[in-house]
Amino acid sequence: MKSATSARTSVISRRQSASGSPTGRPFVGSSKFGALIEFARNLDLFETVSLLTLVLTVIFGFDHWLFHIVARICLLVFILWPRSLRTPVFWLALALTGAITIILTWELVDNHKYLLDYWLWVLFMVHLFAQPQRQLRIILFNARFFLCLTFLAASAQKLASPSYRSGEMFEYYLYVDPRFAAFGKLIGIDPSVGEAVKKRTMFLRSPFAEVQGNDIQIVGSNRARVAALMMTSWDASVQLAIGLLLLIRRQRTDQIAHILLLFFIFTTYIPAPVFGFGWILAVMGLTLAKDKFPKIGAAYLVSFFAILLYQLPWREWVLKS
Amino acid sequence: MLCVPLVALVIVGRQIYLSTRYGLSTWKGGGMGMFAAADERSNRYAKVFLVDSDGNRDPLVQLSSEDFDVLNRALEYPTRENFLRAAKKIAQENWIPAYQRRPVLNVNSDGNPIGAGAKSYRVMSPSEIRSDTEERRANMEIQFWKISYEPRTRRLRASLAETFVFTPEERFRNDAERKSL
Repeated sequence: MKSATSARTSVISRRQSASGSPTGRPFVGSSKFGALIEFARNLDLFETVSLLTLVLTVIFGFDHWLFHIVARICLLVFILWPRSLRTPVFWLALALTGAITIILTWELVDNHKYLLDYWLWVLFMVHLFAQPQRQLRIILFNARFFLCLTFLAASAQKLASPSYRSGEMFEYYLYVDPRFAAFGKLIGIDPSVGEAVKKRTMFLRSPFAEVQGNDIQIVGSNRARVAALMMTSWDASVQLAIGLLLLIRRQRTDQIAHILLLFFIFTTYIPAPVFGFGWILAVMGLTLAKDKFPKIGAAYLVSFFAILLYQLPWREWVLKS
Repeated sequence: MLCVPLVALVIVGRQIYLSTRYGLSTWKGGGMGMFAAADERSNRYAKVFLVDSDGNRDPLVQLSSEDFDVLNRALEYPTRENFLRAAKKIAQENWIPAYQRRPVLNVNSDGNPIGAGAKSYRVMSPSEIRSDTEERRANMEIQFWKISYEPRTRRLRASLAETFVFTPEERFRNDAERKSL
């Protein structure tokens, strides 16, 4: 499957990794993790990133029939002709379909779908060029740019929002958002509290009920309040730190940013089932880290499996127990 | 190399503008503001009424999933144009009133029902029979509401953000134009 271009890229990548290793020591595949690091290091950056992105489009892509069809056709084309992954038209088809899907339903499309489509356009641009150095420059620049944009824009929006800063948002979601119900139970919030809040909310929403003053008392839980405040400060500070550290573009700050990003991916997508978001962040993180920090690159590979495992119906198990 | 990032920056700027100026949900529009504010679709809702010439109002609650899809888009981006689109979609159904009226339940501020109030509404059902009933000639009112939560007092508060009234002429304009061609 490896083309001459990819082979050249691999050589360049390996040279860079040898010079860019934080410790300068070779990683020996004596342990299982060592073997994983070696495996990650030997992967071709473009093929790995392209393949992981293709998987993302197929399993966590846009929720629109047009995109489903195009993504599955692309998968089939890849299986029959693996080199198609290296052609710009392959990525143009996916990027264009993603863009059409966003334009048709832009008010409903989640932010990570925008991020996915940007990334598909980046891969299209990358494959327009034949020179590996240029391809590498484009993909590294864009991976860093979009990680910075995602986390800095997110933290700016969070810090500008009074309902976020006060902890109101997470506390309320711990009561009413079914995605947080299992997590809430795990941290000791009685599910009956959430049920009571939902019932009261229904009174407000129904035209067949009239609530005095449109204002209603809920029981709530001190535990939910504390958890919400902790989630608020953790979430905003981690996101802000990742964005700022990646802006600095130094070896040490990049390393810390990757560790934080991995921590964010491994922890956030347990309670928040936005797996496509976790996946695209991991793809971008892997792009940046694979050659510079092989251990971190290997950890990103593990994170893809973690994201898939997080889809186990553990929420139902927790709620039923 | 810079064209995709530039497009992304323009989209973020547009999202911030539409969010500040027109109430676009922080969660949507490509501004990366997911989990950044409680003011989003799950805390926004609409009450839809048919209002006849005497001012009598009947709520429409039995909306189809297609109606909800269009209404949800309006809730994410609450412009008059989007609510008009929702009104047109909902008005495609032929709404028939039930014979019996349903009383409005009064609820106190502790969230406990305290009995039926004096007010009552007719329960409107969509019917497959299409006729030029008076419901088709009624105005449609869509109330756009938001829920906020005050963590210190643990109170939920619903506030009416805006009321949109659409006349039959507005809702059936396309139909009328098609007939006149």
